Amino acid sequence: MLIIINICLLNYFLSAAITYTEDTLIAALRNHDNEAYKHLYVHYRGALYSIITQFISDTEIANDVLQDVFIAVWKNIDKYDESKGRLFTWLHTLTRNTTINTTRSKNFKSQQKNDAIEDFVYTLDQKESQQQNINAIGLRKQVHLLREDYKNVLELSYYNGFTQEEIAQALNIPIGTVKTRLRNALIELRKQFV
Amino acid sequence: MNIENYISSGIIEQYVMGLCTDEEKNELEHLRLKDAVLNKAIINFEIELENKMMRNAFLPGVNTDDKILNALQSLGTPVVEMQIEDKKVKRFSWIKIAAAAAVLLFGVSAFFNYIQYQKNKEQAAQLAAKNNLPAPLPMENYNILKDPSITPVAMMGQGYHAICRCTMFWDKKTGKAYVMIHHLVPSGENNEYQLWANVNGKQVSVGIINDNIRDRFVEVTGMPEDAKEFTVTLEKNGGATVPDADVWLKGTA
Repeated sequence: MLIIINICLLNYFLSAAITYTEDTLIAALRNHDNEAYKHLYVHYRGALYSIITQFISDTEIANDVLQDVFIAVWKNIDKYDESKGRLFTWLHTLTRNTTINTTRSKNFKSQQKNDAIEDFVYTLDQKESQQQNINAIGLRKQVHLLREDYKNVLELSYYNGFTQEEIAQALNIPIGTVKTRLRNALIELRKQFV
Repeated sequence: MNIENYISSGIIEQYVMGLCTDEEKNELEHLRLKDAVLNKAIINFEIELENKMMRNAFLPGVNTDDKILNALQSLGTPVVEMQIEDKKVKRFSWIKIAAAAAVLLFGVSAFFNYIQYQKNKEQAAQLAAKNNLPAPLPMENYNILKDPSITPVAMMGQGYHAICRCTMFWDKKTGKAYVMIHHLVPSGENNEYQLWANVNGKQVSVGIINDNIRDRFVEVTGMPEDAKEFTVTLEKNGGATVPDADVWLKGTA
C-alpha cells in the first residue's frame, strides 16, 4: 500500500511539474503520452474550438468535432512534419479540414455549392442574422469586413473548402483573378490581426 | 525570382492558412529550404496566426472537457492480453483485489482532489484580490441559489456574440446578484466585461464580471431593486460610465 501511495505522490508532483517546449511536446505526443495530450488539449482547445464555431453554430456538433480533432491528432501525429510548419499550423489545418468534412457530411456544403454566388452571400447574411453564432472578434467577422470581392473568395476558399478552380467556376471569373483576389484578401486580413 | 516580391505576394498567408494548390505548396516548400528570409517570413506569419487564434479562444463546456480527456485517456490505455494456462494454479480472487485497489485509489484520489480544490480556491481568491475583482463563490455557497426568492435571469448573447451565455441569480431581498458564466470570449488584457441594469430607461453600472472564472459564480452587490433589464458590455479596464453600444449579453427579469 505504501508503495502505491508513493507512486501516486510521485506522479502527482511530476504531473504538476511538467512543462513542455514545442519540441518536447511533439516528442511526447509521438510517444502517445497521456500527460502530453492533456497538456495539448488544455492549451489549444479554446483556439481550436473558436475555429470550429466559426463554421458550425450547433454547440453539440461543434463539441463532437473538437473531440474528432484531438482523436485525429492522436492517430496522425506521426504524419506531422515539423519541417513544414509549427504544431499549431498543423492543428489549425487539421481542425479546418475536419470541420469542413463534418459540414459536408451534414449536406451543408452541397447545398451551398449549388447556390449562385448572390444567393450564397444572401444565404450567409441570412444565416448570420438568424443564427448569430459567429464569434464576434474571430476571423470570420474580419473576413466580412473586407471588400465584397475579397470576402466572397475567402468565404468560398477558407470556409467552404472550394478549390481555386471551383471558385473560378462559381464566380465566373478567370482562375488568375481568383489567385490575385485570394492573396490580396489574405494580405488585407493579416493587417487586421494586429 | 525576386524573393521580396514573392514574400509580399500573399503566398505565405495562403500557405499557412492551408489555401494553396499542390503546385504552389510544393514550390514554396522547395524555396524555403534554400532561402532563410523566406523561411523566417513563413514562421513569423505562423506565430502571428497562432497568437490571433489564441486571443480569440473561448472554451467549450466542462462536460466536453471531461468527455474528450476521457476519450484521449482511453486511447492511451494499453490492451492487456489474457493468457490462459492449462496448468492448475493457485487462483487469486481478482475481484477482491480489484475492489481493494479501487477503494485505495478512490481514497488517494479524494485526498489529492481535496488538496487541489483547496489550492484552486486559494489561487482564485488571490487572483481576484490582485485584480481587484470579486472572488468566485466557493462551491458550498451554491446552496443559497435554492432560495425561492431568488430570481434567475438568463443572459443571452446578442448579435455576433450569440454563443456567449451567463445566468444571473438576483436576490432582491439583499440587492445581491450572482452571475454564473457559461461562455464568454476572453476579454483580453485591456478590457473587462461590465454589467448594467436598466432602471427606468437609464443604464446603471452594477459591476465588473471576470471572464476568467468559468462555470463559477461572481457576486455583484448593489443591484437596483427596480431594474427590469440587464446587459453586459465589453469596456476598457476600470469600467465605463456609459455602456458601449455593442451589447454582448442581454436578459430580462
